[in-house]
Amino acid sequence: MVGTFRPRRLVAVALLGALALGLAACGETYPNSTFNPNTEYNAAIDALWDRLLFLGTAVFVVVEVALVYTIFRYRRRPDGGIPKQVHGNTALEIAWTAIPAVILIFVAIPTVRTIFKTQAKAAPDALQVEVIGHQWWWEFKYPQYGITTANELYLPNGRTVNFQLKTFDVLHSFWIPQLGGKRDLISNRTNFLWFTPNKDLPSSAWNGFCAEFCGPSHANMKFRVYTVSPDEFDQWQKHQARPAVFPLASPDSTASAVAPAPTGAGSAPVLQVAAAQRDTALLTATPATATPATATPASATPVSATPVAYTFPMERIEREFPHVIPKTPIPVGLKFDESTLPNGDPTRGMQIYSRSSCIGCHVVSGNRMSMGNIGPSLTHIGARHTIAGGLYPNDAKHLAYWLKNAPHMKPGSIMPTLGKGETDPKTKMVMNVGALTDAEISDIVAYLLALK
Amino acid sequence: MATLAAAPPYTESHTEPSNSGIWSWLTTVDHKRIGVLYLISALFFFVFGGLEAGLLRAQLATPNGTILSADLYNQMFTMHGTTMIFLAVMPLSAAFFNLLIPLQIGARDVAFPRLNAFSYWVFLLGALFITFPIFFQIAPDGGWFGYAPLSTKAYSPAINMDFWVLGLQILGISSLAAGFNFITTIINMRAPGMTLMRMPIFTWASFVVQFLVVLAFPVITIALVFLQFDRFFGTNFYTIAKGADPLLWQHLFWVFGHPEVYILILPAFGLVSEVLPTFSRKPLFGYPVMVYSTILIGFLGFGVWAHHMFSVGMGAIADAVFALTTMLIAVPTGVKIFNWIATLWGGQIRFTVAMKFAIALVGMFTVGGISGVMHSSPPADLQQTDTYFVVAHFHYVLVGGSMFGLFAGLYYYFPKFTGRMMSEKLGNWHFWVFLLGMNLTFFPMHFSGLLGMPRRIYQYDSGQGLELFNMLSSVGYVIQAIGVLFGVINMWMSWRSGARASSNPWGAPTLEWTIPSPPPEYNFAEIPTVKSRYPLWNVKGGDTLVHETTWEEEKNTRIPTSRELGIVMPNPSIWPLITAAGIICMFAGLLFLESSTMLGVGITLTGALWWIGALYKWLLTPLEDHH
Repeated sequence: MVGTFRPRRLVAVALLGALALGLAACGETYPNSTFNPNTEYNAAIDALWDRLLFLGTAVFVVVEVALVYTIFRYRRRPDGGIPKQVHGNTALEIAWTAIPAVILIFVAIPTVRTIFKTQAKAAPDALQVEVIGHQWWWEFKYPQYGITTANELYLPNGRTVNFQLKTFDVLHSFWIPQLGGKRDLISNRTNFLWFTPNKDLPSSAWNGFCAEFCGPSHANMKFRVYTVSPDEFDQWQKHQARPAVFPLASPDSTASAVAPAPTGAGSAPVLQVAAAQRDTALLTATPATATPATATPASATPVSATPVAYTFPMERIEREFPHVIPKTPIPVGLKFDESTLPNGDPTRGMQIYSRSSCIGCHVVSGNRMSMGNIGPSLTHIGARHTIAGGLYPNDAKHLAYWLKNAPHMKPGSIMPTLGKGETDPKTKMVMNVGALTDAEISDIVAYLLALK
Repeated sequence: MATLAAAPPYTESHTEPSNSGIWSWLTTVDHKRIGVLYLISALFFFVFGGLEAGLLRAQLATPNGTILSADLYNQMFTMHGTTMIFLAVMPLSAAFFNLLIPLQIGARDVAFPRLNAFSYWVFLLGALFITFPIFFQIAPDGGWFGYAPLSTKAYSPAINMDFWVLGLQILGISSLAAGFNFITTIINMRAPGMTLMRMPIFTWASFVVQFLVVLAFPVITIALVFLQFDRFFGTNFYTIAKGADPLLWQHLFWVFGHPEVYILILPAFGLVSEVLPTFSRKPLFGYPVMVYSTILIGFLGFGVWAHHMFSVGMGAIADAVFALTTMLIAVPTGVKIFNWIATLWGGQIRFTVAMKFAIALVGMFTVGGISGVMHSSPPADLQQTDTYFVVAHFHYVLVGGSMFGLFAGLYYYFPKFTGRMMSEKLGNWHFWVFLLGMNLTFFPMHFSGLLGMPRRIYQYDSGQGLELFNMLSSVGYVIQAIGVLFGVINMWMSWRSGARASSNPWGAPTLEWTIPSPPPEYNFAEIPTVKSRYPLWNVKGGDTLVHETTWEEEKNTRIPTSRELGIVMPNPSIWPLITAAGIICMFAGLLFLESSTMLGVGITLTGALWWIGALYKWLLTPLEDHH
């Protein structure tokens, strides 16, 4: 009977259903959980949280049980008459003022202790990392090692890292849920945050986020953190400190070969001559780099006489940390002729890159044409696993779409639309003069991916 | 005190205001009709803000949603917050201030009836000013908190944030005018015998809220004027390139923003403190403590603002101090919860829909209060702030608290102002469906937040363990929306054809239930003399039960007109509306400054002359006819 069906029953059934779903959710994994004591900082927060959760649950149960019991017991009865007109009870009221106050003391004391412990000065021998927020990507500098990189952090396990947090533009907030609490990046100020990834932590990959609203692509301002063994970190930092290994064997010769001594208008032919000379050298030396879409860290090694570059291995990410691989779909409506990708030529790519607007914003250490400092450093971009502030995986396909129309791939991006015939989503202008064809983009992709 | 016996002679010049037609609504200065206007406008914006939330939940139901663009999503969440806070919950409270305060204190109107009309018109026009851009996809997009420097011209060059900067100032004018009006009313116009400690508890809560309004709104006005001057006239209060400190905005904003939270919740507490005693047939437990705790919450509310800023790096000492003040404010709030339960204890509880909403407030606000204490601890807060955990927290406070209290008040007082009862059957559907939807929407957000979902993101990736919680929240939204639909249908149908209400259908104890439903224009034919807190229960004189009255008993009683009683009521006036429109024109002129200085200055000056002229005309028109 519809008449006897009461909304209350519907609610009871639905709540049971929700509970069942909630329990089912317990089986899942939560890669960005805030509860894992992977650092001493998160362990301290976690200890506080446990206490808060315990006391909070106790208060919740007491209040709700008292409420439900009261309304059940004192529901109106037919012979009820007028209840006793009680106006108050001083002793009771003092009691339930004092009891919450006492409970709060048990929260307040560890809180204040933890505040002073976690906000003390970092250890003097800490790894220093300068974090600079940009709309919408992260710049990371390791002043002790002369490294500037973007969107991917490497941290050695067992060593305290002290972040100096700054912003280039608006406010951002630096947050790695698995490693600690967040800290804002405030214009015209420097903030600090430190923690120590546990010594016995296996090499791992984590997600980082921007947690302060910062404009259209706030959701797309993510980063990756790799906590690695001290040895792995050492290999990584040594390699990162060097210029990009492309295209010549040693860093020294790279510098001289790529340096076309830019002297105004006359520099372009010089560059082309220099590049033409290198073409032969490169192609004979390492044919493998001609198909960069499938390039792996290992295949890049032959070009370089530098020590083996450490990059957090993609196989391990795929096997153990699939959640740090971005799965953002390429926006509908964006077209790229993917058949041009296998033909991408890194040397041609370098030439095109070096005469395009790219160099106005990006730096590639070792390519003296590329000195811009507005966008992220591309020095070792081939060794990163993500692009575009952690929004897309770093592979030939995504890089190609990204180069073709970055503002379409990431709302608000100040990287211009570069593809021929593409419409800039902001200005609505169709790009033609100086714009890049899909084949040219494939060349640049080959070049960038070769920058291990 | 005009009474029948002492009625002055009828005078020719006194015209009885007509009570129907659009003109009568545009010119009304009757606090009850203004209250109804507030109520209808606020419910409209509540539904509107709810639809905005619907788009947000549709976008987030699945990973990498594509229903809204990033830009539109940002406009939607900014407008959802702005709408719910400034255009729905605050004016819903204002509706109850208007409807109830004069009745509860035994007055015939507020202290400044035309200023009251002015407050409403400024609110309505300001609300439309800040809302209409969304139809052109140029709505404010910097968050309801408008953090500098993102809200400055350098980072938000488009017109979107201009609407916000100007709109909030306009709404502030409305709140301030109303605040001073109600403070004056409550201090000066209480009936004989109504000492402060005999005042109904809703009036007490409102009294405290008005002080919060007049102390907090100037602070955000200053912050907004700075931002306005930055955006329109090139000053550098927040220009980071000139070395500005963005924390100036944050401190100013939250010195307003935290008291604002209490501005949103205390009226609901007041309403619930009226509903629980009536339907338990027991006085409010510990009335003096309830009054003092309200005052204390209001006072402490100004000392906790920086707990919104634990992540900005204020230093260990500031973090510790604001953590402690925040924990402290939980004490008077907890006292309220226990006193409410003690009010129920030993009562004869009638489960009307109003009572269910009131009891649900006690249960649901507790959830929000506990999660509030959880982020009063800065280290824990650094994992919680700017995540969905905080979204869960304040929706339990604002939906489970404010909205449940306001719904309780709506069901409780609807008969008083319309003369019609609301349907209990539809009301039950409204209550249970909304309660279910609300919990299903907001409880999973605790999990999505603690499991790493930041706020204000228009998309999240798959495989982050967030799919289920977001889907639950979105399904919960649909259920909430259905619940609200039941409520809206109930209001509509009851207003038109609900059972007729008597003067005191609930057997309630306070003054407003002594007069007919709906009350005559003059409220009280004779100003009552008050001898106790619950005049109708006469609790001091023993336990005489006052049964609720019925329509049958009352329907043949003739209600005399004010003219017959010789009560002189204020004349209707169009000037408050015209003055309000001039103020909107003045602010709107600034929007044109960038495209044409002449046009912008012209419109602004016209608006200024317009409202100053209208104000003169208003002030030179006598409030009431000579008698």
